Amino acid sequence: MEQPRELTVEAPRAWDRPTFSIPVLACLSLVGGRFASFSTEANLYVLGTGGLLIWLGLSNRVPRRPAPTRLGSGAAWWVLPIVVFGVFEGVTFVVAAGDDFPTFSRLADPLLEGQLIRSVAWFAWLGAFWELVRR
Amino acid sequence: MMRALAISGFLASLAFFAVLEWLARRDGSRIPTLGEMCAYVMRYEVGPVPVGRIGLFGFWWWLGWHFLAR
Repeated sequence: MEQPRELTVEAPRAWDRPTFSIPVLACLSLVGGRFASFSTEANLYVLGTGGLLIWLGLSNRVPRRPAPTRLGSGAAWWVLPIVVFGVFEGVTFVVAAGDDFPTFSRLADPLLEGQLIRSVAWFAWLGAFWELVRR
Repeated sequence: MMRALAISGFLASLAFFAVLEWLARRDGSRIPTLGEMCAYVMRYEVGPVPVGRIGLFGFWWWLGWHFLAR
């Protein structure tokens, strides 16, 4: 017997569940963490994984969560950390004083040389990308 | 001295992000979460072109390339 539409709930697809997506992202991150900066492999891997996620995000192949039609009155608070970060990044970039007054990238580069932290960074990047795709 | 200032500034902005996300996740909060902010931005379209979606995906892709590939 056919159920009324309002009583039916669409079951999440197997690949859309965290028990599937998290191990997949972890494997992709471990692979990405093996590629050194400025290597051809790293460039191709970022282009490939990012390109695939953009394709998924722009097509209708992945179910999306409903987006808010209005933001709460406290949305303006998000401007504060963005401006603070932007000011420091802008000033350090323009001054170009190297390690004496480093940009965020310059501070992050030595940390990202280690394979473990690099894999963690890959996981954060891919995980956030996947969340964006599903929004 | 200037190096410490730069590190403090970046850490402060990251701490602001974390505190705001924590505040946004409390019950009855008027502050939207970062995910809701992104979802709202991604709703922006010009005609049939999902400009907000393309812009945010492009920015995130560039960020990954900048830190993990170049």
